Amino acid sequence: MEISAREKSDVIIFDIEGEIRRSDVSDVTLHQLVKDQLDTGKRNILLNFKNVEFIDSFGVGEILASYISTHNLGGKLKIAKISKKLYLIFQVTMLTKVLEIFEDEEVALESFIKD
Amino acid sequence: MAKSPVQKFLSKFFDVRSGETSTALLMFFYFFLITSSAYVIKPVKISLYLEWLKPKNLPYAYLLTALVIGFFVTLNSKLLQAMKRQLYISLSLVFFILNLFIFWLLFKQQWAWVSMVYWVWSDIFMITSVTQFWILINDIYNPRQVKRLVGFLVSGGLLGGIEGSLLAAFLARSIGTEKLLLICPLMLFLCLVIVNFVSRLQKVESGEGTEALKKLKKPKITYSKSFQLLRKNRHLMLLCGIVVAGIVVTTLVDFQFNLIIESQYEDQNTRTAFLGTFFTILLIFSYLLHVFSTNRILKNFGIRTALLITPFFLLIGSMAIFLFPLGYMIYWAALIKGTDKSLAHSLSQSVRELLYIPINPEIKYKAKVFIDMFVNKFAKGFGALLILLFFSVLQFTIKQMSFIAIVFIFVWIVLNLLITREYVNIVKRNLEIKWQDADKFIREKIDIDMTKLVFDTLQSKKRSSVLYAMNLFDLLKKEKLSPELKKIISYKSDEVLASSMDSLLELDGETLLPEADDSLEDEALDAQVKEIMSLDVYQQLMNEHIDKVISEESQEAEISKMEAAKVLGMMEPSSSVIHSLSQLLKDESPEVIRYAVESAGNLKSREFVPLLVQHLSQPRTERIASKALVEYGSKITGTLKDYLGDPDEDLRLRKAIPDIIFQIGTQRAANLLTLELRKKSRDVETEIIEALYKMKSKKPQLRFQRKIILSEVISVIKKSYLILIEMHDLMSDEKKVYLAKDLENNLARSLKHIFELLSLIYPHDDIIRAYQNICSGTKESLDYSIELLDNILKREIKEALLPLIDDVPFEDKARRCSKMLKTLEKAELA
Repeated sequence: MEISAREKSDVIIFDIEGEIRRSDVSDVTLHQLVKDQLDTGKRNILLNFKNVEFIDSFGVGEILASYISTHNLGGKLKIAKISKKLYLIFQVTMLTKVLEIFEDEEVALESFIKD
Repeated sequence: MAKSPVQKFLSKFFDVRSGETSTALLMFFYFFLITSSAYVIKPVKISLYLEWLKPKNLPYAYLLTALVIGFFVTLNSKLLQAMKRQLYISLSLVFFILNLFIFWLLFKQQWAWVSMVYWVWSDIFMITSVTQFWILINDIYNPRQVKRLVGFLVSGGLLGGIEGSLLAAFLARSIGTEKLLLICPLMLFLCLVIVNFVSRLQKVESGEGTEALKKLKKPKITYSKSFQLLRKNRHLMLLCGIVVAGIVVTTLVDFQFNLIIESQYEDQNTRTAFLGTFFTILLIFSYLLHVFSTNRILKNFGIRTALLITPFFLLIGSMAIFLFPLGYMIYWAALIKGTDKSLAHSLSQSVRELLYIPINPEIKYKAKVFIDMFVNKFAKGFGALLILLFFSVLQFTIKQMSFIAIVFIFVWIVLNLLITREYVNIVKRNLEIKWQDADKFIREKIDIDMTKLVFDTLQSKKRSSVLYAMNLFDLLKKEKLSPELKKIISYKSDEVLASSMDSLLELDGETLLPEADDSLEDEALDAQVKEIMSLDVYQQLMNEHIDKVISEESQEAEISKMEAAKVLGMMEPSSSVIHSLSQLLKDESPEVIRYAVESAGNLKSREFVPLLVQHLSQPRTERIASKALVEYGSKITGTLKDYLGDPDEDLRLRKAIPDIIFQIGTQRAANLLTLELRKKSRDVETEIIEALYKMKSKKPQLRFQRKIILSEVISVIKKSYLILIEMHDLMSDEKKVYLAKDLENNLARSLKHIFELLSLIYPHDDIIRAYQNICSGTKESLDYSIELLDNILKREIKEALLPLIDDVPFEDKARRCSKMLKTLEKAELA
């Protein structure tokens, strides 16, 4: 898994690539990276899953932990371009009712502005 | 219909019903006269043979009889085919009357061979006339009638025998053995009159009897066909075996008896008088045995025990010969012959006739003629050959001859045991299952849960993509998503935010989100959903979200609550979030409650049971609450029983519980529900009985506490008696007849309950077969049903149940129920 961060319109965008699974965890997790951004005062986070091939429950846990951390600090964490299957899992687990999920990055960014 | 004095008198002793009194009386006298003649002819036969040809030549007489009867059966069959029944019997009687005069003339010549001819002739007479009598009986009455009237008719035969024997005993010394024959033609002439009168009476009284008679005239009977018929029918083969074993034993006993008599009484007329006296005592004993025991044995112990009594006593008797000193052998001879003949005249005869009842009338007729006239005599011939072999060739003593008898008695016992099993099987085969149990049928044909889930999925599609996804996920987990079902569910899938489900359904619909290479298998999906739900972060998020949703009161909140209720049911029961479900179970929205109840059923947590039970009292939630409670299984049966037995609880709620216990369906559930019957709670009695019945239908291996069930059966029978008596009272008042209609329905329901309860402790299918045939079968199937019940039910239950189902006029039914009610109440007090 490779994660790179960039900033656009006051939103920190994490571009995630590869597979997010428990077995591939390196020293730095997604949650840690989000927390690092939150520590620097950033409050708007967008996770871009465009190049994610696979995500397991650990990965979902990372997303949710990141969401909670952001939310607890009054920030917003949104998600863009997740796969159909992951979207279905989010629906089945009712996470679509909690998380804000967008089809593409631009629409997601616009939503931050509206907020 | 008012009873005639004769019928009133007869009904005190026998079960003779209106419409059959005249024919029954006439047939009684017919049998009386036939046996009376036979018992005059018989002592003459034995005495003359022993005098002129000596006992050592008896086997030749037995053998010759067997051979001649073989020829006579063929002749008899041809005559039966060619002539009308009434005409055939009339001509036979005329033939025998003429023969009697001829023998009387021949006896004067003192030719020894005449005693041999007379021996054979008298056997032909006895067998032919008795068989003709039973064929007439089978023509006139249906099986159930025969069973009722057999006691009365056999009484006529026994009384006739007593009268004939008395005549022989008193007149032998004064007029001589040979002249005794001249009494018989008069009696046979009276038989001739009766046959013709009965035939006319039958035409007037019932068209059915003559129809049946006509039908029976058609079949052609040949030896080979009759034998083929018997060979194919296990029941008839066993019956033949019984007849052969029984007759071989009787022949051996008869030989031993005659041997001893000849050595004891040397004067012919004294011997004839002794034989007359012996037969008188024998027949009186037989008569008493028959009147006081035959029906009681049949009623109380059934056909199986009745069949075993004769061979059992003969076994004891045959063994007893080794204990008697030579000087007292006349007592042994009288004892064994008395046992054999008295039981043959009473119990064995009645039981053997009963064994013919379940056979198809056409086959019965052919088989009866063949067995009575051919097999019977073959056995006699076989017995004679055994005597020749062991007595004449191997020089066995009288005592040693009993060894052979004992071997055949054992064979007889085994065959009797086999035929009782076969008898019940034949009765069952005569009863069809009329209809399938609807519950069972639906259970087998339709997956109700699956159907419901498909509907829920379709419905949720328009309301919420989350609910839709969750329902679809449920469907997938059940692995029952056929291609057709996938098509139905995906219809108009582009209209909702659910196109992501297309990948689940493997369809080519539009996608909402960009394609990614996540090729998750269904199993992996399930595992992943579970893993996510077990995450602490997920629990934390959901806890907050669901709390928020529950506190909302807007219209949109209803869907969110439905989603929350659904998702809670997918979590682990140990999850801290699931407690929120209690709130959702109390929600005002029926839709929210529906999902909450379903989730409670998935989670099976005890904390939700009281809330679920309360939903049983509401029509709109009763079904889903029931289903959810069923999911809990056996662990909540105790709690459910408490609700069921609490008279302060809502009645609707209580009535719903037996069905839940049925669906739980464990042995413990069956036991608890059975125990609840003991409380005699009339409010929920119907529901409990029906649930128990369904339990047994679904799981035949379940066992029920016999004592409690039997007590309940008696209780429902008593209730049915009261309904029937009340109906009878109402029907006698023209203004209140319409009220009887309601009671008729109640009675039908009670009868159903009786059989449902009986099916728990007796063979389920047999009881249902009997019940269905009683409800909607023909008169014949009613008879067979009663016959089946007669063979499988316990005596007390049988006695109590029969007045309710027996085919008698309603007035008689009410009277019998009233009488039985008093008997049952007395028994309870005692």
